[in-house]
Amino acid sequence: MATGTKSLLSGSLKEGKYVFIILRTDAKGKQSYATYEVPRDKVSTVLEGLQYIENNIDRTLAVRYSCRMEICGSCGMEINGRPRMACSTIISNLHTDTLKIEPLKHYKVVRDLVVDMEPFFEKYREVKPFIIRDDDGVYKSELKQTPEQFEEYEKYSMCIKCGLCLAACPIEGTDPDYIGPAALAGVLRYNLDSRDQGKKYRLDIINGEEGTARCHFIGECSEACPKDVDPSFAIQILRVQGLKHEISKIFRRSD
Amino acid sequence: MGWFKIRHKGIGQVAYVFQRLSGLVIVFYLYLHLFVLSNLLRGQVTYNQIVSSITYGPDDLFVVFDVLLALVIFYHGANGLRLALNEMGIGLKHNKLFFFLFEGIAMVALIIFLYYAWQFIAVG
Repeated sequence: MATGTKSLLSGSLKEGKYVFIILRTDAKGKQSYATYEVPRDKVSTVLEGLQYIENNIDRTLAVRYSCRMEICGSCGMEINGRPRMACSTIISNLHTDTLKIEPLKHYKVVRDLVVDMEPFFEKYREVKPFIIRDDDGVYKSELKQTPEQFEEYEKYSMCIKCGLCLAACPIEGTDPDYIGPAALAGVLRYNLDSRDQGKKYRLDIINGEEGTARCHFIGECSEACPKDVDPSFAIQILRVQGLKHEISKIFRRSD
Repeated sequence: MGWFKIRHKGIGQVAYVFQRLSGLVIVFYLYLHLFVLSNLLRGQVTYNQIVSSITYGPDDLFVVFDVLLALVIFYHGANGLRLALNEMGIGLKHNKLFFFLFEGIAMVALIIFLYYAWQFIAVG
């Protein structure tokens, strides 16, 4: 069972154990830290540690995970002060035996380490993250694309919607309405896609007050991204696209 | 106040925090400056008395504030210039290098400025 933090840390730690200090949230929203000891020889990643706790020590611990291989984007959490994926965070790489685990910042906590991701997905849906064509959608064959054209947007298509970027972004902390790095990187992904003709629609959405203008190019989102999508760079590219779009609107001939 | 944290954060966050703080200092200074200048409406003699009482304290502490203000302005200006260039798509791939480069140039410019400012004060 969980033990008090002070009693574990004030005395000498048992050899061969990791100490997990987890911020728990009960159904009424009350938060408190609970501490667990996990044998070093049983686990290598943070997620394995949490699974060990869930299976052997405290079955009430709520954790969201799925693929366990950094593809589904489910297991994002704050690990020793930084947003990371629990499944791919190898404990020995943290160079400490004590892990402080908290739910992702800037999200409403549902229970323990599980947060409400719906606002994140809402923002993503808002920016029209799909191929938009100006034709009738009837084609004799598939819309072809060369490998070079694919490479233009490949990096930005790697996003697994884990939400770490929003947790890392300090702007999100001060303005929850900010569209956020993930959605904006998604916009660039489609804007750069040679098959897409919907750039103008998306730029009209993100050129607003809660779009690219909110970004201060801090770069924490890119630091946090487990897939090297580099959303902060994507946002700056979108700024230039947005500026060109606004200028072209001024000079565009009316029909 | 989540934006204020720099522990476990990259250089981008540090730059952002100091940009915000220096901006607040500059805004505060602006209002203070306008307030002091507004005393010109009370006549030259009164204005001179007020300025003298502020700038020539027993330990010339105001000079220290002036140096800190110059440091804040140079930092804020250099970082602001870097961000303005970034927003035009310039220097995006070498953002961290640009930060150190611009701030380095700003600090050299600050030292040159302070040197000539000191000459001016010493002569005065």
